[in-house]
Amino acid sequence: MILSPKDQITTPQAAVIVINFILGSGLLTLPRSATEKVHTPDVWISVILGGILTMIAGVIMVKLSQKFPQKTFYQYCNEIIGKWVGGLLSLFIICYFLLTSGFQLRSMAEVISYLLLEGTPTWAITMIFMWVGLYLIIGGINPIARLFEIILPLTVIFFLVVVFMSIKIFEIDNLRPVLGEGVIPVLKGVKTTALAFTGPEIMLLLIPFMNHPQKAVKALLVGVSIPLIFYVITVVMVIGALSVEGVVTRTWPTLDLIRSFEVSGLIFERFESLLLVVWIMQIFSSFTISYYAAALGLAQLSKKSIHPFMFGLLPILYIIAMIPKNINDQFKIGDFIGNVALWLFGLLPLLLLIISRIKGGKYETIT
Amino acid sequence: MKMKEWKSKISKKGKVTNNDKQEVDTSQDSTDQFTDNFILNLELVREEIGHNWDVHFREFNIGRTGIRSIVIFVDGLSDKDLIDKHIMPSLMVNFSAEYKHDLPYIKGSISTEFIKNEVLSISEVEKVGSIKELASKVLTGSTALLIDGSLDALILGTTKLKTRTIEEPVSEALVRGPRVGFTESLSDNTSFLRGSGENENLSLVKFQVGKHSKKDLVVAYIKDIVDPELVQEVENRIKKIDIDNVPESGYVEQLIEDNYLSPFPQVQNTERPDRVIAALMEGRVAILLDGTPFALIVPVTLSMMLQSPEDYYERWIPGTFIRLLRYLAAVLALFTPSLYIAFISFHSGLIPTKLAISIIGNRSGVPFPALIEALFMEISIEILREAGLRLPKPIGPAMGIVGGLIIGEAAVQAGIVSPVLVIVVALTAISSFAIPQYSTGFTLRILRYPAMFCAATFGLYGVIVFFLFMTSHLVKLKSFGVPYLSPVVPYRLSEWKDLMVRMPLMMMKRRPKMMHTKNPIRKG
Repeated sequence: MILSPKDQITTPQAAVIVINFILGSGLLTLPRSATEKVHTPDVWISVILGGILTMIAGVIMVKLSQKFPQKTFYQYCNEIIGKWVGGLLSLFIICYFLLTSGFQLRSMAEVISYLLLEGTPTWAITMIFMWVGLYLIIGGINPIARLFEIILPLTVIFFLVVVFMSIKIFEIDNLRPVLGEGVIPVLKGVKTTALAFTGPEIMLLLIPFMNHPQKAVKALLVGVSIPLIFYVITVVMVIGALSVEGVVTRTWPTLDLIRSFEVSGLIFERFESLLLVVWIMQIFSSFTISYYAAALGLAQLSKKSIHPFMFGLLPILYIIAMIPKNINDQFKIGDFIGNVALWLFGLLPLLLLIISRIKGGKYETIT
Repeated sequence: MKMKEWKSKISKKGKVTNNDKQEVDTSQDSTDQFTDNFILNLELVREEIGHNWDVHFREFNIGRTGIRSIVIFVDGLSDKDLIDKHIMPSLMVNFSAEYKHDLPYIKGSISTEFIKNEVLSISEVEKVGSIKELASKVLTGSTALLIDGSLDALILGTTKLKTRTIEEPVSEALVRGPRVGFTESLSDNTSFLRGSGENENLSLVKFQVGKHSKKDLVVAYIKDIVDPELVQEVENRIKKIDIDNVPESGYVEQLIEDNYLSPFPQVQNTERPDRVIAALMEGRVAILLDGTPFALIVPVTLSMMLQSPEDYYERWIPGTFIRLLRYLAAVLALFTPSLYIAFISFHSGLIPTKLAISIIGNRSGVPFPALIEALFMEISIEILREAGLRLPKPIGPAMGIVGGLIIGEAAVQAGIVSPVLVIVVALTAISSFAIPQYSTGFTLRILRYPAMFCAATFGLYGVIVFFLFMTSHLVKLKSFGVPYLSPVVPYRLSEWKDLMVRMPLMMMKRRPKMMHTKNPIRKG
């Protein structure tokens, strides 16, 4: 009881990690990026389809990992496809996590300097954020999971309060007609919306930490469904209030939605500060978990202690975050990360699963 | 006949223990044994402790037999009443008249054994063989009896510590609940726990702490509830205490806590026996130290620090209301000044326009930035509070009024601070008074300052980052193996019945799971 021999997380904790990883910058940008592709009010259908696709991909990843319930992806991919290819693949995934982490960091800095702190230098904003993140992940997966559990209910409450405040300017007509131009526009948007759900890949690493690895599928499904609900609510409210044309022209449509109404008689007339609180916490969770995933990968590849890697990655993350010259570069990097994720986590796990099936029961004895 | 058997049994027993003791003593030190020379013995004792002015020697003729004896005791520590009314009279009666034997026979049979078995009618009597042992016993309040011709001395239990009467606990006053508080006497305190009705399963294990001045420390737990590993861990940590003196349980707390760098208290202290009993019933362990009314409870969680026994004594609806109020107060005490700073200096656009205009209008004459303004007031309030604490009782409240009202009013009129800030500071101060644990209130008071600095540097963003930092620390913190934030995280919905909301008692059927109790069911 006093010291558990190994860091373990419960099934709800695994689900919470997935939820918090998915809910990141997408909350603010998804309405625009999806509407740009779809151009009809049916974005919410694309969001649902994207979520379902993500669930399928996630289940494949979980099934793959469950073949090796004691190992993370970094440890077992060598066994499936050999030491060198496996190592290279792990490196790719580490780079992916680093990029994601840096991307989250930069998105945060952009929004903060756009909305809250116009004069403050970006390095100062990112710096304290990174230090706090480092402080958290030094404690390992368990504190991370617990912090996420605290952030999640705050997110849900604040988010719902803020979004439902905007019901005043919601016009159902902006969402009509449903499927007015058929299903083709909807399908065009599915890729974009699916990318807003990147996050289940963390299950590749979480399963050995879970105290009931056999319940991982459940954790994953819950973990994707809750962001799905969030995204659908966001998209419906944003498009309902701002209309399709209004959404496309705005950089951060969700924030603009909150800024576009005032409720008098309450302490705050404008609620973007509440939304920002939630959003910063969500970015923090996405940032820390991908940071941790990258450090964990390096540690497991080199079979050394994780702490030097955590400290060593800090400047690298800062450099990655500073690469984009402006906000458009930043969005391009976001797209790039999305495409990488599509290949790495959409197709690769399926491939690996098939290979490991073909190789047969060889691993069953190991596990 | 029966009586005789019994007596001989006792005397045998006494002899056996006596022999055992002497063996032990000889192995330790053979130079300070008593000899059959009474004068020499007395001289040795005087040499050991006779230089102390409070040690009294009373020589007399035992049983009018002409055999010289002496009682040695410490004035103030020993119960003089007991010595005068029971010990001395029974030693000084005419033995031959009393025991119906002729004088020579009595004279021949006088020994420590005889005195112990036939003469003294007090409960605690033991024999010692060495002067060192005698000295240490006498100095803790026992009375020693030396008889000419005996190779050992009798130690009579006459210790009587001065204790104060039981009073209502000052630091944890309740409107409803028992008015009993712990005192400085360890035996009184343990008797409160025993007296609560839990008898055969309440374990009180004694330890000694302090290398130089040894103090008794009792670890209390309920045998059939507590997790044995927890008891083991507590005992290990107590055994590791290596310090020459432990004046108060705060020393123990600081020497056994998990993380000494954390601003959060990881051990709960309380003056209330009912609180200790409630904690024991949940499978926790209490530590009581001699000489202090503050008992320690481990392990603790943050939520415990925001609870008061009264939550349970009142009906559940007021209990819940008060508890929610306290959580709100904790948040206010921590974040109000920093939010004020953030909104005033960075995001005045985010507060309602009319309010913003009135605040900024009020502040227009203030020559300082919001941080300096807030620091000025916060620090004055803290000083006032500290000053009020040390002042004699009749002056304290007057001082509070003078300080709080006049300084606040005058500062506003002088244009040093804005009126809104006075409200903010007052609200913060009142909120921190609403925290039932003094030490936790302290933590919030201290953490307020880093939060204010973060707000002054990064505005609202700084406050959020500070919150994340603090929470990151809290999720890592453990108190004796129990996560500090449980049962909030990891989610244990069944225990949320007693977290922010205090559900009706009949719904709380289980003990907290985090305690890994042997007997998880409270009722039903």
